[in-house]
Parts: sequence; C-alpha cells; structure tokens
Amino acid sequence: MASSLAVPWLAAHVEIFPPSAAERDVLDGNLALARELGAQVVLTHARDIPSALVRIASEHQATLIVVGKPSKPGLMDRITQKRSLVDRLMAIGGTVDICVVPARTAGPPNDTLRRRPSPYGAWSEFLLAGGVVTAVTAVGLMLPESYYQSLGLIYLLGVILLSLRVGRGALLFAAVLGGSIWDYIFIPPHFKFQVTSLQDGLLVGTYFVVALVSGQFAARIRAQAVNERLREERATALFHLTRVLAEKQTFKDAIAAALRQANEIFSAETSLFLAAEPSGALAPHGGAAPPTDKEMAAAEWAFRNKQSAGRFTDMPLESSSTYVPLLYVDRSVGALGLTTATALTPAQRDLLEAFARQLAVIVEREYLRNASEKGKLLAESEKLHRALLDSVSHELRTPLAVITASLEHLDEAAGRGGLVGEMKTAARRLNRLVANLLDQTRLESGALRPKLEWCDPVDLVNAAIEDARDALAGRPLDVSVPEDLPLIRADFALTEQALANLLLNAALHTPPGTAISVGAGLDGTGSQAFITVADRGPGLAPAIRERLFMKFARGDAARAGGLGLGLSIARGFVMAQGGTIAAEDNPGGGARFAIYLPHAAAQPSLVE
Amino acid sequence: MTAEAHPSILVIDDEVQIRRLMRFALEGGNYRVYEAENGQLGLGEAAAVQMDGVVLDLGLPDMDGTAVVRRLREWTKVPILILSVRSTEDDKISALDAGADDYLTKPFSTGELLARLRALLRRAQPAAESSVVSFGEIEVDLTARLVRRGGAEVKLTTKEYALLRLLVQHRGRVITHRQILRELWGPHAEESTHYLRVQMTHLRKKLEPVPQQPRHLKTESGIGYRLVEN
Repeated sequence: MASSLAVPWLAAHVEIFPPSAAERDVLDGNLALARELGAQVVLTHARDIPSALVRIASEHQATLIVVGKPSKPGLMDRITQKRSLVDRLMAIGGTVDICVVPARTAGPPNDTLRRRPSPYGAWSEFLLAGGVVTAVTAVGLMLPESYYQSLGLIYLLGVILLSLRVGRGALLFAAVLGGSIWDYIFIPPHFKFQVTSLQDGLLVGTYFVVALVSGQFAARIRAQAVNERLREERATALFHLTRVLAEKQTFKDAIAAALRQANEIFSAETSLFLAAEPSGALAPHGGAAPPTDKEMAAAEWAFRNKQSAGRFTDMPLESSSTYVPLLYVDRSVGALGLTTATALTPAQRDLLEAFARQLAVIVEREYLRNASEKGKLLAESEKLHRALLDSVSHELRTPLAVITASLEHLDEAAGRGGLVGEMKTAARRLNRLVANLLDQTRLESGALRPKLEWCDPVDLVNAAIEDARDALAGRPLDVSVPEDLPLIRADFALTEQALANLLLNAALHTPPGTAISVGAGLDGTGSQAFITVADRGPGLAPAIRERLFMKFARGDAARAGGLGLGLSIARGFVMAQGGTIAAEDNPGGGARFAIYLPHAAAQPSLVE
Repeated sequence: MTAEAHPSILVIDDEVQIRRLMRFALEGGNYRVYEAENGQLGLGEAAAVQMDGVVLDLGLPDMDGTAVVRRLREWTKVPILILSVRSTEDDKISALDAGADDYLTKPFSTGELLARLRALLRRAQPAAESSVVSFGEIEVDLTARLVRRGGAEVKLTTKEYALLRLLVQHRGRVITHRQILRELWGPHAEESTHYLRVQMTHLRKKLEPVPQQPRHLKTESGIGYRLVEN
C-alpha cells in the first residue's frame, strides 16, 4: 500500500509483555519483512496499544494508520464489553486517518501478531509457588484446628509475597492451589471441597478475589518494571557510547572503546570492518586477524548491500556471525560483526543498528579529517612551488627586461648598429631559454592547472604566430584554417604556447626562407580536433624520432642550439589538457607536427 | 592644465633597476615620475601626490599586486598599468578584473610602455573623446550607432554592435573576457566565453580585411581582446 502511494511507512510493534521464544521468532520475521519492504520499524513498550500507536504516529508525523480488521470478538471480550482496537483507535485517533484492512484469518503472521504475548512465567516460578503453598500447608498442619480461618490469611500472605517474585501464571497457580488445599484440608467439613457456614464462604470468596486481584497488579507492575529496565538499558548504552565517542581523542581509541562497549552490552564478540576510503575495499579494522572467507563474504555483503547479513538474518551466507552495515546517511562506510549464541531480540537489534549508526558517524568524521588534511598538505606544497617559481621567474626576468629596454634606447642613440642588433638577438634568445626552463619546471612540479574553455582555432593559430613572429621573419607562411571550423575545447594559453613552440621548432630546424604551413581541422570521426605545423626542411631522422619529445633531446648536432625543451614542453602542455602530440613525415618532404585535442560533437549552446 | 603638459606617473616596483629604467623612459616621454619600492609605500605615495597614472609591478614583496589594485580602486579611478611575467596569467587576469586597466609583460619595449600609457591617459580625459572613432577603413559613430566600412554602412546585430562599442570605448587597452561577458550578457554568463568567441568571429568577418588574421580586433592570449587602432 505504501509503495503504491510511494510514501515512507513505519511498522509499529507495541510490546506489552515480553514475548515467548516462539512468538519472538514470528515477530522477528514480521518485522524483518517490514524492514525489507522499506518500513522504518518502531518498537515501544506500553500498556495501551491504541494510545501508543497514536503517539508513534504523531511523533513520526504519520498521517495514516493501517490496522487489520478485528476478528469476531471472543466470549471474554463480549462479557467484558471490551472494544476492539479499531474502535478505540477511532476514539482517540485525532487528526490521523485510520484505514482498516481485512486480516487474513488463517495467516499465521497476522494471527500471531494479534495474539497477546504469553503472560505465563517459567517452570521455576511454579515450583516456587508450589513450595510456598506447601510451606504454608505445613504451618497449618502444626496449628490447632480452630485456627483454620487465620490460616486463610497466611495463604493470602504467601500469595502476596509470591507476587513480588513470580509471574501471573505461577501466582494464579499458587492462589488456586492454596485456596483448594485450605478448603479441602482445613475448612470443615474436612477433606471435602465444601463450605458449610456463610462465614467460611465469605472468607474463601474474599481470599480468591484478593489473591487474583493482587496477582494481576503484581504482574502488571513487574511487566512494567521489566520494560522500564530494558528501555533504560538501551538509553544508557547509547548514552555511554556517545559519551565514549566524544571523550576519546583519537579515532583508534574511540573505535576500541565503542567495540568494548558493544561486547559488554550484547555479551558477544564484535568485529569491525572498514573501507579505507569511501567506496574502497573492506578490510578488518585495526590490524585484526583476517577472518575466514565466509565471514569476510558476509561482512562484504552487508557493506555492499546496506543490509544485515550473516547468521540469524535472511542472508546467512554460512557465516557464524551477524553483520550490520555502518550507514552514514545513505552511504555504507563499513560493517560491524557480532558473534552471539542466540538471535538478537528486536530491541537488541535496534540497539545494534543505533550503535552501527554512531560508529558510522565517527568513521565518516575520520574520512573527512583525512581528506581535509591531505588537501591542506597538497595546497601547501602547491603554494610553495608557485611562490618559488614566481620568485625565480621574477629574478631572472627583471635583468632581462632591463637589458631589452636599454638596448632599445641604445639602438635609437647609436643608429642601426650591428652590435646592438646582436645583443638584442642574444637577449631574445636568453629570454626564450628562461621561459622554457620555467615552463618545464612548471610542468614537472605538477602546478599546471589547465582551464578548459571554448576556443576559436583561428584565434589560437594567430596568437601563436604572433608569439613566434621574430623567429618566423622572412619565411612564407601558409595558414589554412577552415572558416567553418567549430570552437574547440582547450586551455587557450597552453595550447597557444604549445603551438608557438612547434612553430619555433620548425623555424630553428629548417633552412631560412623555406615555407612553413599551419593547418587545423577535425579528424574523420569528428572526435578530435587537430592543429598542424608542417615544414619543408630535412625531415625527421629515424634516430631522433624516438626521443623527439623527450626533455633535452636535441636535433642533429645541435646545429640550431637551444636546450631541447621546446617540444617536450609542447607535449606536456597538450597532454595536460588530455590531448596528444605526434610527429610524422610531411608528404612531399619535411616534417609535420600535429596537436590533437579531444573534441565533443556537441557545440556549446548559444542560446543567450 | 599642467597635468596635460607633464602628466605624472607613480611607479610601484621593488626592483631599483626597473624603477631607474622607467624613470629614464618616462621622463623621455615627457612624464613626471614618482617612485615607490613596495605596496604600502606606493599606496601612501598615491594618496600624497597628484598623479595621472600608476605603473604597478605584480610581484611586490610585501603585498599581492591585486590587493594594491583593490585598495587604489577604493578611492581613485586613476589608470593603472600592471607589469607582470608570463607565467602568472591568473594573477594578471585577477588584477585586471579587480580594476587595473592594462598590462605589460616583462620583458617589454619602452615604446610599447609609452603607447599603453598614452591610451590609458586618453581615456582618463573624456572631454577629449570624440563620438566618431576610426581605425583602418572602419568608422564607428557612437552617437548615431552607425558603423561604416570604407564609407559604406555595415549592418551589425545588437550584440555585435555592443561588443564593438565596448572595444571602441576601451580602444588601445585590453578588456578581459569576464568584463565583456558581464557587460554584454550579465553576471551569470561570466564563464561562457563561447558566446564571446562566436560574436568576435562574426565581427571580424564583417570588419577585418582578412578575418583570419585580424589587424584591429586582436586576441590577447588567455586574457581577452584589444582594439588596435593602427
């Protein structure tokens, strides 16, 4: 019903008397089924089912209570005029809607759930009750016969004292047994279940009424006390856990303390499995001995599926322990294993889940702390790198700037002097060298952070040509970029520099005056954009081809000079953006270098 | 106006050699020069003297250059030209977005420096602005919203004209992608550089003699655009 309405639902279990083992099994089955169907299970202890249901509903902001249609009222119910659950719910339900669905009369789950939990105690209680009655009878046999009326009070005293120790069943047993013996042996006529005088009749009647009523009261009080104790234990356990977790300074201590506490509360052996990082592989925590494969599989299953697994669950996996996932919001961060002799009660299971949630919170906290520390460290190291690079860059370029600018004035003052021209060329070359060294350092320090944006290939090519203008002087330049070429996704500055380096490389390694051509386009599949630089120089010697893009690799006999960084930097800049760079023979002679960048067919939306 | 005859420039740079070079170049260009060797002194000097322009090095020892730009922009609209090195593109952009007017990359030529300063100081004197601006064979009449190429009117879309007008108003100076996008498309479009690239391609096709190799509507690699008049 809830799934058809697509709303969250609760399954409520109101416990009045502790259930017997057989009932607990059925109950567990029902609640597990409810959980599986997506319910949040709420357990509560109360005397009165309807008021407890209404309270739960209002606490969880439920708007609809669904109950089974009551079966025909039993004889007792008719005599006591007892109203059905539905009637009473309707009477106190307030604003909550109540929906009555037909109960499956033969279905054991419904049936069992509706049946009141057994109020009868254990056999030992009956023995005790029998013992007390026997003792009182023995006392009675020692008393003079005429004291038989007082003896009734002694039986009653026995019953009331018993009510402090035993359950309702044993008490009833003691009351009836005591009354019968009293009547049979002591009340005249002896050895007959008969009362002759009105006085005796009143006595026996009163005895039974007082014994039964006090027994009923005692049982209620005891049941409440038991419930109180259970609830208190649960609250205390959780309270202790949160306190322990808050007090412990380190993650390790906190986890160890929590596990110790879990061992105590569940009187079980606990084991913890954590994933080293979110969505990582699961491993036993704290260097514990790795468990058997079966245990590991159960823990893994609980972790992956965010559901309990192992013994006493729907997914036993031949494991000897129960595993619950550590869930933080909707993420699984590990699994908690519990080795117990018997299945957990619903209350214990709830407690275990609360425990697991608390553990998940500290595990998550540890993850976050680790992540932030790692991030901090990385940021620090990057900052340091950058500061160093900036300062080196500043130091090297300042004198160059002074020299370059001063040469200009010298030029003006001394006319077109040959020596000044040489100095200018030298300064330019030095500047280029410094730039290359700094770029290479920037690449290797990992401080490069490409900023991908939509770039116009025409712009890229022009900017690179502009950059290499001095070196390209006196060469025919053939630029062919199709006009309808779409925008490509790249870091403009890095791509432009890579391209400029290719142009400089071509200028350095080909005879002056030979042509250089620049092209751009999309490859056959349209998944890559390319920009090429082709020359008519001597082409690529097979020996150099291998090392072409390696650091400090230089062409034949270093005729052209330079450190051999240009191509290495170009490759670094292109690869940083997810692209590739290649060198090949230019059809018709010479070499051709190509930058390939990933290209998405989808162009940016131009809806403004 | 004496400032017109001898505009004064404040040079903020920690390198004494650069300052001496600047003084030499600027005094040769008929400027009066004030110097400061760090950000704090520069800010003090800027408040104390009447100046027409600031040349600011981004690599100051005591303060982040962008912070100096911000502090200056709190109270003055004086043109600011920043000096930087190539590896610090991001700093350059953030200084420009903080209110600096143009940049120059070291090493630079003094001719370039003087040309940039001239363009900056011209903007600072709006009285001298004419409503008709021409470059190459293009003439832009800002009052009539008319664009002519070799005398014939060129039809521009609203966005193309808005872009051209922005460039014309900032002619000779760089204008960052972010600044253009904010002005033309609003603050939410600051990262959408592709709008700009497409409009620029259209504009070049309509105005440039060889659209593939623009002479006037220049791209400033990774930073923005600049309208070059000659």
